[in-house]
Amino acid sequence: METLITLIQIAIGAALINNFVLHYFVGICPFLGVSRRIDTAFGMGCAVTFVISIAATLSWVFTYFILRPGAPLPAWIWQMAGGDASTQVNLSVLSYIVYIFVIAASVQFVEMYVRKFFPALYKSFGVFLPLITTNCAILFACLEIMKHLQDPMRLWALPEALTLAVGGGVGFTLAIVLMAGIREELDACDVPKPLRGPGIALIVAGILAMAFMGFAGVDRGIQSTLNAFLH
Amino acid sequence: MSASEPTALERFLNGILPENPIYRQLLGMCPTLAVTGAMKPAMTMVAATAFVLIAANVIISLIRGLLKPHLRILVFTLTIATFVTIADRFLAAYVYEMSKQLGSYIPLIIVNCIIISRCEICASKQSVGVALADAVGMSLGFGLALGSIATVREILGAGQWFGVTVLPPDVWPSWGIMALPPGAFLTLGLLLALVNWIGQRRAESLALREKQSKG
Amino acid sequence: MLTTVTMLLAAGVLGLLAVIVAYVLGWANYTFHVKVDPKIVAITDALPGANCGGCGYVGCGEYAEAVAAGRAELNLCAPGGSGCAEKLAQIMGVEVGQSLPYRAVVHCAARRDQRLGQTVYLGEPTCVAANLVGGVQGCTYGCLGLGDCVAACPYDAIHIVDGLSTVDYDKCVGCKNCARVCPRNIITMVPFKAERMLVVACSNKDFGPEVKEVCEVGCIGCKACSKNAELMSIENNLPIIDYDAYESEEQFAKAREKCPRESMILVGKPSPKDLAAVAGEKLPDRVEADFKTTVDDTEWRG
Repeated sequence: METLITLIQIAIGAALINNFVLHYFVGICPFLGVSRRIDTAFGMGCAVTFVISIAATLSWVFTYFILRPGAPLPAWIWQMAGGDASTQVNLSVLSYIVYIFVIAASVQFVEMYVRKFFPALYKSFGVFLPLITTNCAILFACLEIMKHLQDPMRLWALPEALTLAVGGGVGFTLAIVLMAGIREELDACDVPKPLRGPGIALIVAGILAMAFMGFAGVDRGIQSTLNAFLH
Repeated sequence: MSASEPTALERFLNGILPENPIYRQLLGMCPTLAVTGAMKPAMTMVAATAFVLIAANVIISLIRGLLKPHLRILVFTLTIATFVTIADRFLAAYVYEMSKQLGSYIPLIIVNCIIISRCEICASKQSVGVALADAVGMSLGFGLALGSIATVREILGAGQWFGVTVLPPDVWPSWGIMALPPGAFLTLGLLLALVNWIGQRRAESLALREKQSKG
Repeated sequence: MLTTVTMLLAAGVLGLLAVIVAYVLGWANYTFHVKVDPKIVAITDALPGANCGGCGYVGCGEYAEAVAAGRAELNLCAPGGSGCAEKLAQIMGVEVGQSLPYRAVVHCAARRDQRLGQTVYLGEPTCVAANLVGGVQGCTYGCLGLGDCVAACPYDAIHIVDGLSTVDYDKCVGCKNCARVCPRNIITMVPFKAERMLVVACSNKDFGPEVKEVCEVGCIGCKACSKNAELMSIENNLPIIDYDAYESEEQFAKAREKCPRESMILVGKPSPKDLAAVAGEKLPDRVEADFKTTVDDTEWRG
């Protein structure tokens, strides 16, 4: 039960309170670029959510077994090589290269897979997939997961990592769809000339960010409510 | 090189203002918004990005003959990731506090669109000298943009510049919002509008002067 | 010892990862291979890549697919023009019919002071908004003159002159963007068979007296033109020109003479006679914006 509450907390934290776009500023490029129409924005959001969960799962596996300080695989090899147990091999310096490699490869793989088996799906969001390789939101999710695998006392298991990734993806979708809705209405407005295009989009994003600041503390409220309900 | 490719000097100057990566091309927005709450982290970020950009541009330019078209993006990314790791370790070793404050945004340099786009547009096509000039020019442009945003945000948000008090608290009630995420969006939006406005004004006055000189 | 093992492990991990990923991707590329028609690639290269949507497809890529599948005409790309259509014809191996350049035509001729029954409108200055409000001006068909078409034009080819949308035919490429945004649907695409085309510059479907109440120049549906030109007919109190049979403006000389209003006008490039009439006046050279950047070449926006 405790785990469930933690998971809900992580999900709400990633999707609303610390929204990837509006709080951490990751994934700004597609947020500004692909937010002209609601349907394309939704397609982009779904593609990001999909890829982010795959990348997060893979990077959790790599980090947990190989890259984190005190990971089982290098420790085993270290002992095979005759090293003493008091020191440990730390491969975390490799994490960035491994993550970006894994992300690039999985995007490529997903693109080929979807094109072969789901042509209809590929038609609707296939064009976004190549854009995602350099999307900071994906790498950011991997880095956040890495952060929670550094401390051997409080290691995240796979469900926590996956919840963060999906929550972040849903938060990204929410933000980009809201943005697209506002921008569609903006088309009927007379925006001052210098502000047209990205200028007004950034100001709208600022106001959205202010609105999302109102979610601060929601997770604690939900936690105490659930605790009161359970006990 | 063919005659149509810009020379080293053109590349260098283009990066600073005419093709400023932030204000003109709108590339690399994540660090622009995330670390500009104050001057110090912003300038650290600029230094790290400049190091990676210069190193990656030079390396890519050196191996441009070996690149296969369909694998080039992967090669760019891995080269960049290597240098980002070096920069990250360096910062963690010598300026630990700053490295802690910048957190995930240092590794996020890997996916900074500025670097990949410069590798793609310039370094993979032109010689080392041009690529180097291009990287330095772009870094200066990036620094200028981040510096301007961070200046506005730090002065309005905390009354300080580089941590030195400029506007004392009794004169200026610090606008807390400027240091928070919404302040980043608003500042960049308005600065972008300012740059556009100046550009449009200049274009108009230029057109007017030409008209007058024609009689 | 620790350093050596760490280095070896790092190299080993990266090497192993590279081998695994290369194997998986290679296998996937083989197993999931989808045959892409080389024609689609060639057509995409031949198109200008402006993604303006003038052809009616989402972008150049989708149009290329439609052409390759034989679902679309070859001459739909307005910015590419006939050169582009020929290239596509070469790729597809068929003859292309002569591609007429389509240009935007505003079917309204009333300048600001010729429109009657206007009230002060202080709302959002866009046509979409003004069109929702009644009574901005008497004519409910005519141009509102707030410039939604100007904002939509990527080629700077349409402007508001004296309160009326006016197309600059030196710049218009016929991308349809203005026609799409006009809330009153008074901009259509007309095939330009000659440098100058005769068009009906009115969209008011009401009867004569009602038109006279709201406009000084609009068509009153008097049928004087259709009686004097074979290619003209009247429908909904408006003349229609049969552009399939249109050859030159000479065919309509008599009809134009008989028209009591000013709703039939010639649009397009000025004739030599008109140019001679203003030859004495000194015109300023057109100022082109100095826009030098390589930004457009980049695909890295993500």
